[in-house]
Amino acid sequence: MNGKPENRVEKIVTDLLRGRRLKLRGGDADEKEAITMAARLAGTRQGPQRMRPEFRKRLARELEAAPDAGWMTRRAALVAGLGLAAGAAGGGFLSRTLEPHPPARPVAAIEPLSARWIDVGGIDEFDQGEGRRVTAGGVGAFVFRKGDAVSAVSSICSHLPCELSWKSGDGHLLCSCHPARFTADGKAIGSYGLTALNPVHVRVTAAGRVEVLGTE
Amino acid sequence: MTPDEPAAERGGQAEVVQLPNAARATDIALRELELVYAFIYARVGNRADAEDLTQQVALKAIPRLRQGAPASAIRGYLFATARSVLGGFWSTRLGLSEAELREDLALAVPTSPPSEEGVETVQKLLAELSDNYRRVLELRFLHGYSLKEVAAEMHSTVGAIKVMQLRALRAAAKLRVPE
Repeated sequence: MNGKPENRVEKIVTDLLRGRRLKLRGGDADEKEAITMAARLAGTRQGPQRMRPEFRKRLARELEAAPDAGWMTRRAALVAGLGLAAGAAGGGFLSRTLEPHPPARPVAAIEPLSARWIDVGGIDEFDQGEGRRVTAGGVGAFVFRKGDAVSAVSSICSHLPCELSWKSGDGHLLCSCHPARFTADGKAIGSYGLTALNPVHVRVTAAGRVEVLGTE
Repeated sequence: MTPDEPAAERGGQAEVVQLPNAARATDIALRELELVYAFIYARVGNRADAEDLTQQVALKAIPRLRQGAPASAIRGYLFATARSVLGGFWSTRLGLSEAELREDLALAVPTSPPSEEGVETVQKLLAELSDNYRRVLELRFLHGYSLKEVAAEMHSTVGAIKVMQLRALRAAAKLRVPE
């Protein structure tokens, strides 16, 4: 833990009492008992909590949209040895073929109202297959190079408005706020059925410069 | 629910989600998720993380919710998922394995309604502490005093109260009051 433990724990307690997210860092594990206890005390100080109406509505929308996210057919379920479960469900929601992940829903590219192409570097500055964070005015994006072509996706998670980071070893974009991951082309990884990342317009000029469609 | 289960389970007192009534299934899920939210909030202490984790529980549980299970089974599954999600949350935030955290997370499923759970547990827990430790945690967490206000109330310094708060939290964590 950096600095005196009582100072670090006090910072965490203050954040909790102000209703802020738990932001922990390396070394905080040394005080795991005190920190988890502080979270429990902060969580019960105002009595049992109920969901905000807006959050409840959002959950309802996600639950109701789930059948469209793709399940398995009765045949696929039987093949997978899940015949009983499929029979019980009556096939009502089992109308799609077996897929490892829900199909990505198409999402619109970012089209700024006062758009302009902004130079973010020469093509040689971008490593093959590696995501590089660039800023084009108000648009944040990860640019990927494949040969002489480039593609780009938004640097903001499609689930929570948090900045993503590129994990080179794993080859995916990781949300800093929760365990959401995305491929270089913006598709969500895993079974959460998250929306894909917004594509960002990007091009390579004749002079070999990479330009992203950003804002003034 | 499978056709092989006893009739009492299918049509007795158990509340069954009638497929393909997705709206009804959603209603039941939301009612149970309200309890899950309170359970999670009481362990992470803030709304933003509680909402994020509740959403993760809901998304993970969707396949099970669609199988037409009794409400009681849905609740069991949701709380099992909530415990797993909470374990993952603390493990990620603290950089420790879930096995190392198991003792600290208080993940037992509540047996009483959320209106009683948590508050009673904390009261029992505080009652077990020494006077000074109990006072500092009560003033800070239950009355919302700042560190400076606690120091004034307890005729001490801010630095000493900070140390006392840390020691009180450690002592409270060791008590393991049954939930």
